[in-house]
Amino acid sequence: MLGKDQIEIFPSRMAQTIMKAQLKGAQTGQNLLKKKSDALTLRFQQILKKIIETKMLMSEVMREAGFSLAEAKFTAGDFSTTVFQNVNKAQVKIRAKKDSVAGVTLPVFEHYHEGTDNYELTGLAGGGEQLAKLKRNYAKAVELLVGLASLQTSFVTLDKAIKITDRRVNAIEHVIIPRIEHTLAYIITELDEREQEEFYRLRKIQEKKKILKEKSDKDLEQWRAAREVIEPADLLAEEKDEDFLFE
Amino acid sequence: MLESAELNFNADHGYLEGLVRGCKAGLLTRRDYVNLVQCENLEDLKIHLQTTDYGNFLANQATPLTVSVIDTEMRKKLCREFEYFRNHSLEPLSTFFTYMTCSYMIDNVILLMNGALHNKPVKDILVKCHPLGHFTEMEAVNIAETPSDLFNAILVETPLAPFFQDCTSENALDELNIEILRNKLYKSYIEAFYKFCKNHGDVTAEVMCPILEFEADRRAFIITLNSFGTELSKEDRETLYPTCGKLHPEGLRLLAQAEDFEQMKRVADSYGVYKPLFEAVSDSSGGKTLEDVFYEREVQMNVLAFNRQFHYGVFYAYTKLKEQEMRNIVWIAECISQRQRTKINSYIPIL
Repeated sequence: MLGKDQIEIFPSRMAQTIMKAQLKGAQTGQNLLKKKSDALTLRFQQILKKIIETKMLMSEVMREAGFSLAEAKFTAGDFSTTVFQNVNKAQVKIRAKKDSVAGVTLPVFEHYHEGTDNYELTGLAGGGEQLAKLKRNYAKAVELLVGLASLQTSFVTLDKAIKITDRRVNAIEHVIIPRIEHTLAYIITELDEREQEEFYRLRKIQEKKKILKEKSDKDLEQWRAAREVIEPADLLAEEKDEDFLFE
Repeated sequence: MLESAELNFNADHGYLEGLVRGCKAGLLTRRDYVNLVQCENLEDLKIHLQTTDYGNFLANQATPLTVSVIDTEMRKKLCREFEYFRNHSLEPLSTFFTYMTCSYMIDNVILLMNGALHNKPVKDILVKCHPLGHFTEMEAVNIAETPSDLFNAILVETPLAPFFQDCTSENALDELNIEILRNKLYKSYIEAFYKFCKNHGDVTAEVMCPILEFEADRRAFIITLNSFGTELSKEDRETLYPTCGKLHPEGLRLLAQAEDFEQMKRVADSYGVYKPLFEAVSDSSGGKTLEDVFYEREVQMNVLAFNRQFHYGVFYAYTKLKEQEMRNIVWIAECISQRQRTKINSYIPIL
């Protein structure tokens, strides 16, 4: 009986109803999880497409930014040491926000500007225009990088969430539901067998009783034929009792 | 007197003048640039440079070759030549050379001051300093705590001392923005250099003074252009203009009031020399910027300096032309290595 994986439970009508309820619950759960998995996969594909687009754009923007650096160096000379030495606080900062898709929270990065440009006067005597262009190009590159970072973290988180959800869906479909169904089948077969046994038992008892009755009837006949039977007193027969007092 | 120049110049400086003219003949020509532009990668560039005066200067470098390595080696070569000229010079040519190195010294001092204030290790900054602007007190910079200490202890000994005194009092050094300080120092420097050349008289004054005037005016224009839209006020801006150029005093006053490129152009239109330069500037991305136009004019004036003899301007002109050549080669190398060949022809041709 317990060869396949089944839940150990005493087979009874109560157990049967419980199992039926569980089966229903498992099936609803599986549907819901499947829907969640579909929603996550949809979002995943969208993010993947956006990542590919951004990466292509990124290579163009970085190339242009690198070239504008060469242009600026041509006119302004080497300003890299001045830039390194004057760094104190970051001008572009990032805030992390939460976005939720079908119950999965995804981090989203948003950049904001703070503070003034420390390097406004660099290149005052030469190359100021190229430096301004350089600053713009690299600012664009940084914004793109921040967007790409959000997309990639969402990508990784979604990937994990999708794997977990799919695993659960498959588990329910291939493990839990079959187990419940087998248990149900087992309970039903047990109950049927018991009913059969009952019928069989009752029938046997009735047969036995019939045989006994036939035997006792036969004996009675024999005794009656020998006239030795004393009819038991019939309680319902009317008898006149003699009066003792009023003779 | 002109005769005395012809008579006495060669006795003291004839050898060096001959040497510098020989070096000038080794500058890259248009054909060399055309060859360089057609290179596919930096190795090709190195092979082409071997056929020029540069020779095997990149011979011992590790592969892969990078643009910064080329830049450093070229600068080392220029420094070697410059130091040779300087070591063999007599007065007053040696003072002239000292004046030439002052502009590099100003950059180095600003770097060192900045680094010392931010507590960066001195050795790192020393590597980044321009070798032509080397002065003996450089390593001692990290002793000073504040800029005024720096000035009192160290800079007093250098040729830059009078420029510091000119531009600001010692107390104000602490608050000054680094870039403003740099530009103020440069202004005093160029005015001092101009006075020196003028006092020397002779052909040197005839050749150097126009060059220095152009440099002063160019600086005024560029500072004005770059200060549009920044926090630099008009009065501050006016203190940064060198006064030894043609624009002084009227043009500088008008420039200080200018608020955009058009107004600047109108100021330039009243000066015959600058009008055609501004007309050549166009706004589109394929056209020349004001800086390009100024670079071309500077190169032109430097090349013309070689048409006269018996003056010190040849040394100045040669150094500037060599620097421009270095910038050109670095530009071409960057375009090749970044595979952006569209603007590869934006270098300034010299000969």
